[in-house]
Amino acid sequence: MNRFWRWVAGILGVLFLAAFAVLSFIAGSPKDAYGMVRYALPHMHRGTLKVGSDAPDARIVALDGVSRFHIRERTHERPLVLVFGSFT
Amino acid sequence: MGDIVQIYEDYQGRADFLTVYVREAHPTDEWQMKSNVKDDVCYAQPKTLAQRVAIANDFTKRFKFPLPFGIDDMSNAANDAYAAWPERIYIIDESGRIAYRGGMGPFNYKPEEAREWLAARYGAVKHDAPKSPADEAPPRPRPAAPAK
Repeated sequence: MNRFWRWVAGILGVLFLAAFAVLSFIAGSPKDAYGMVRYALPHMHRGTLKVGSDAPDARIVALDGVSRFHIRERTHERPLVLVFGSFT
Repeated sequence: MGDIVQIYEDYQGRADFLTVYVREAHPTDEWQMKSNVKDDVCYAQPKTLAQRVAIANDFTKRFKFPLPFGIDDMSNAANDAYAAWPERIYIIDESGRIAYRGGMGPFNYKPEEAREWLAARYGAVKHDAPKSPADEAPPRPRPAAPAK
C-alpha cells in the first residue's frame, strides 16, 4: 500500500511540474506563471451575460472623484460602447 | 488602446462611449510585468477610491485619452456585474440589452469585433493605408544633363 501511494504522489508531482512548466512557457517565466495563478486566475470570470441579456447597472465614479453616475444613464438613444480596463 | 480610440473617433457621432477603470491588472504589489517597468507604469493596487481616482487621472492625462471616463468604486460593482477584469468590451443597445459581448482580455480582447458591430450598423469607416517610407521620401534630384 505504501508503495502504491508513493507512486500516486510521484505521478501527481510529475503532473504538477509539467503543468507548471507549460504555464511558465505560456506566461513567459516561472515568476509570471506564479503571478497568473496567484493574482489573475481568481479574478478572471467569463460572466453570465449573453447577447440579449439586460445590461446590468452599476454606479460609476467620475474622474473628479466626487460625482457619481450610473452606466444605464448613458444608454438612451444610441448604443453604448462600454470599455473596461486599467492602466497596467 | 489606440484601436479603441480610433473606433471612438470614427463612431462617436453614432454611438456613445464609456471607459470604466477597474482594479489594476499588473500592480507593483501583485503580478507586475516587465513591460510596465519599461513604460514607467508602476502603481500598487489601489486600496482606496482616492488612489483609484489618482491613477485614472494619471492615465487620462498621460495619454490624453479622449473617451468619456468613469471609475469602478471599491466594491467593484461594475467589474463583478460585467466580469470585466482585466479588460473587456460590451456594446449595449438602445433598449438596454447586451448587443455585443467581447471576450476576456487580454487574449480575447478584440476591439476590431466592436468595430465590426458598429460598421455593420452604421457603415465602415475606411482609413487610408499608411504610406510606405518610399512614398513619403522627397523625389530625388535628377542628375544634370551633360553639357553638349
